[in-house]
Amino acid sequence: MSPRELAVRYGFLVLFAALVIYFALAAPGFVSPQSAVFVFQSVAITGVLALGVTATLVVGGFDLSIGSVATSSMMAAAYAMVVLDQGVFVAVAACLAIGIIVGLINGFLIVYMRVPDLLATLGMMFLLVGLQRIPTEGRSIAAGMTMPDGSVAPGKFSEAFLTLGRHRFDFFTPNLVPVSVVVLIVLAVLIWFFLEYTRFGRMMYAVGSNERAAELAGAPVKAYKIWAYVISGIFASIGGILLAARLGRGDIASGNNLLLDAVAAALIGFAVLGASKPNAFGTAIGALFVGVLLQGLTMMNAPYYTQDFVKGAVLVVALVFTFALSAKAKR
Amino acid sequence: MAADAVFRIAGLKKSFGPNQVLSGVGLELRSGEVAVLMGANGAGKSTLVKVMSGVHAPDGGAMMLGGRVFSPKSPAEAIRAGVVTVHQNINDGVVAALDVATNLTLDRLSGKGAAALFNPRRVQREARAVAERMGLDVDLKASIADLSLADRQMVAIARAMAHEPKVLILDEPTSSLSSAEANRLFSLIERLKEHGVAILYISHRMSDIRRLADRIVSLRDGAIAGTFEARPLDYEGAVNAMLGRTVQHGTVEARAAGETVFTADRLAIAEGVLPISLTLGAGELVAVTGLVGVGKTALAETLFGLRAPRAGTMTLDGKAYAPQSPRDAIEAGVFLVAKDRAENGIVGDFNVYENMSLPFLRRISAFGVSRRGAERALARGQIKDLGIVCRSEKDELATLSGGNQQKVMVARWLAQPARLMMLDEPFQGVDIAARRDIAAKLRAEAAGRATLIFVTELDEALETADRILVMSEHTIVGEHRNGAIDMDRLLAEVAGQKRRAA
Amino acid sequence: MNITRRTFALLTLGLMGATALGGLPALAADRPAPFDKPESVKIALVRYLSTGDFFQAYLAGVQAQAKALGVDLRVFDSQQDAALQSDMVDQAIALGVQGIIIQHGLTESMKDAAQRAVDAGIKVVAFDVNVENAKIPQIEQSDKDLARLALEQAIKDNGEAWKAGYVYVAGIAPLDRRNETWVEFKKKYSGIDEVAQFGTLDNPIANSVANQARSVLSANPDIKVMFAPYDEFAKGVKIAVDEAGKNKDIKIYSADISTADISAMREKDSAWAATAATNPAVVGQVSVRALAMLLAGEDPGHSVVVPPTLITQKDLIEKDIKNMEELGEKLPQFAHADVAMPAWMPNPNAK
Repeated sequence: MSPRELAVRYGFLVLFAALVIYFALAAPGFVSPQSAVFVFQSVAITGVLALGVTATLVVGGFDLSIGSVATSSMMAAAYAMVVLDQGVFVAVAACLAIGIIVGLINGFLIVYMRVPDLLATLGMMFLLVGLQRIPTEGRSIAAGMTMPDGSVAPGKFSEAFLTLGRHRFDFFTPNLVPVSVVVLIVLAVLIWFFLEYTRFGRMMYAVGSNERAAELAGAPVKAYKIWAYVISGIFASIGGILLAARLGRGDIASGNNLLLDAVAAALIGFAVLGASKPNAFGTAIGALFVGVLLQGLTMMNAPYYTQDFVKGAVLVVALVFTFALSAKAKR
Repeated sequence: MAADAVFRIAGLKKSFGPNQVLSGVGLELRSGEVAVLMGANGAGKSTLVKVMSGVHAPDGGAMMLGGRVFSPKSPAEAIRAGVVTVHQNINDGVVAALDVATNLTLDRLSGKGAAALFNPRRVQREARAVAERMGLDVDLKASIADLSLADRQMVAIARAMAHEPKVLILDEPTSSLSSAEANRLFSLIERLKEHGVAILYISHRMSDIRRLADRIVSLRDGAIAGTFEARPLDYEGAVNAMLGRTVQHGTVEARAAGETVFTADRLAIAEGVLPISLTLGAGELVAVTGLVGVGKTALAETLFGLRAPRAGTMTLDGKAYAPQSPRDAIEAGVFLVAKDRAENGIVGDFNVYENMSLPFLRRISAFGVSRRGAERALARGQIKDLGIVCRSEKDELATLSGGNQQKVMVARWLAQPARLMMLDEPFQGVDIAARRDIAAKLRAEAAGRATLIFVTELDEALETADRILVMSEHTIVGEHRNGAIDMDRLLAEVAGQKRRAA
Repeated sequence: MNITRRTFALLTLGLMGATALGGLPALAADRPAPFDKPESVKIALVRYLSTGDFFQAYLAGVQAQAKALGVDLRVFDSQQDAALQSDMVDQAIALGVQGIIIQHGLTESMKDAAQRAVDAGIKVVAFDVNVENAKIPQIEQSDKDLARLALEQAIKDNGEAWKAGYVYVAGIAPLDRRNETWVEFKKKYSGIDEVAQFGTLDNPIANSVANQARSVLSANPDIKVMFAPYDEFAKGVKIAVDEAGKNKDIKIYSADISTADISAMREKDSAWAATAATNPAVVGQVSVRALAMLLAGEDPGHSVVVPPTLITQKDLIEKDIKNMEELGEKLPQFAHADVAMPAWMPNPNAK
């Protein structure tokens, strides 16, 4: 391999390792199992969203609605438990239903109504930001809240649901790994296996690379595209469940920061191992990369705006790796 | 004949990584002369063109234009110096989102000294002048995206000519033109010759070459293998030099068809056209020929379930066959190697074996999980069978030459037994050696299935098929058994004369 | 429209602990012009921040007072878009309103817009944004007092020397004013050692702050006090403290209050010790009242300060306060402020 190929293939991982080493030296307390778990936990929600958006990137699409799907399903979970006084299963089912329905609508708009993906999902994003406010007339949902008609909401977050946000599994040390981290890892492995090793994943890549060729090879292109948006919707709603379980209430939010961080992670993923295409492993590394950066910078007392700056810089460098340096881009 | 070399290349070298593509090319272009460059795919033609047109910088050697050193740093610089190229990929030459008039004057819009404000009327005026000079018969207000490939090509060429170049490089310009359009191009080239333009013409089409060439230069393995300019031109010798072996002009031993595999009964493939009835038997290779745009692709797509027929029925192995999608067709054993492989066939992000397994991934997978070992073994078999030149089945497709890419596309569909195997323009942008390999493979494996190829070039049909069907105006107007062909009648049918007479 | 406004009014009444409708425009004729014919009065609320319980309650207060006066209220919500908020002032001017309440925003973008409104003869009051205009009364919830009350409680609970984490984002007027008090306290009590400062407004804010606070806690395990003078910050810090299992070692002091905050503070062994708050609904009411005084030709004063209340974990548990409603009932100083209350002004809390 030429030095250039080596740089493209391993450059980003080397950068990642260098970053970890730097923080380990510069920020006391950075190297510890707890610290590592913190990193995973802080990227769990955006990581799950990023894995979902990776599926839409694979079929050559894009999903801007993931952030608002996450916050909408957080509101739905809170509404089901606090206002409707339901249990954990109804709450989780409501979230997943939102993810599936939004994914189907996105897919339908893009595939059958021929609305370009960015525009369709942008519209869906606005729609959801508004929709999540309608049931409570714009109030955030918390136990004991006052409803629009003056009554007090009867329910509260079920303990089982909060467990999703607060339980920790024993791993080396007791009570170390939170549920959200386990969810992230399980979903990452699942989607990675799905995209890399199943024929469905392969066909999704084919659809993304040359839709016409995939169609002429007999692939049900429309179904694959819709599936990609459903996957993205489901992942985003799982992100919403984790968010609700962590916050313990339903917060009105657009989720735009979740969206941007997730997209950044997926795009950084293009550069990992010189893949030059959306891939689950890269997305996971991208999310961790951002997590490590933010953890390290916060530990060193860097103010929030420098963090945005650094996040942006990492993304730009990753995109340069992907588009300028890789051999694929040259052709 | 003009003796001055306007453009001179000496010892030109170019490598990509370890891969030496041009190893010391020498070439002269003289004003008022058409030099035809022949070369098999992978011989280095495209690279040579890219060096001449300023896309790539050479690693060694020199280029001289009109006695001065010519070393363009960019395509724009080459154009300003008077070396203009019309590239093979038509969509590189035009901007699909703009209309014809803007495309014709695009370079003036962005060049130095261009007015900052866009004046649509001036653009129209200038464009009309360009179009008239070129004899271009296209609606200037039409959007490029709405034009056929042929019309787009004409626009791209017309725009190149608008620069009044000293040297014009045409890279397979007729590959998607009908013969009428090609004739317009040829008369244009004649006119440019009179004006003293030096023309480098790259083509595989013997008919073009016979018509245009003043001199033939054969390129092989990155070096000039022969230059032919003595009258009469030695075409055989040129082809020989290019291939490094003698081309057989052997005729095909026409075989008889076995049991009936496929029938179409009064099949209308478009609105208001005469219906098609045809029968295809096992073991025979049938070519459908006809000019560009007579409905060959429409017929292929109808049989493949991509478009619904307006009327008529089809049967496959005696049973009714009415595919709603390519998936249905593939399930039934009807395969199509689509034309324009870059657009319809190649999955750019996939390597050779992933491209090959694309349609039959389900059959190679176990419980949805693809079995890479089986995929790669299958691909290795096909690479060997078809003589695909690549390092391994894990090569990216883009590293392969055009002919080898096409072999991969064909191999993709040969991997599973077919009832009806269709290939639409399988020899497009494929060198003669690869063409023969593909044809031989098709004939060798024809037993047990019906094979249908759609080709515009008559030579290709004559070289490969047992039976030739001629299409005109979206229907079949003639049928010939290879070996005993009345060429006059066939050509008349291709030209559509029979129906006019009828 | 009527239905929605009635529901909002109902909500607000419920929120304030009132149970009945009443005292509505029946007495309108006794009020000074233009409130003798209140239906002809149109006012606008132009908002910069709207996400979160505080802003919901503020809006409810504005709506309750507008309803009590019987005026037509239009709400413009720019959702943290500074340029849009400025445009919305112009929209309100075009709509022909007599009065505008500017709620939060950036001085730079709102100064000129506010001046345009004043030039158009419109009465303007501003809440929590300094538009640098002598003609525009500033409604303030006295952020300095808020921070002071919370920090005094922190000193009372923890003594005069502790390691502190501080959550702050510069450039937001109320946070900047609260910051001034923090800086003063650090000067006054040299024992206060600020070992980390962080903060972000990425939404959901609590989630983003929680991520930061986790990192801060692992870098500075010896922090005793977290000063998070905005309840969204405090919620985020509390999540991080809980996740780090340090809820018994760290105390959180904050500003602002909501039902969700109350339940978070009441949790067993909650780290959230105290918060200082001005009832946002009261601030909303005062905003409308100050504007009404201007419209009636009276002078509410250039600075209208709504006094804050200290709410401790102990209060909430001892008085069994579970939500904002009960907070209003059981801490009466929280439910009403006698600010901008001329005799003719209807009290939306009156039974």
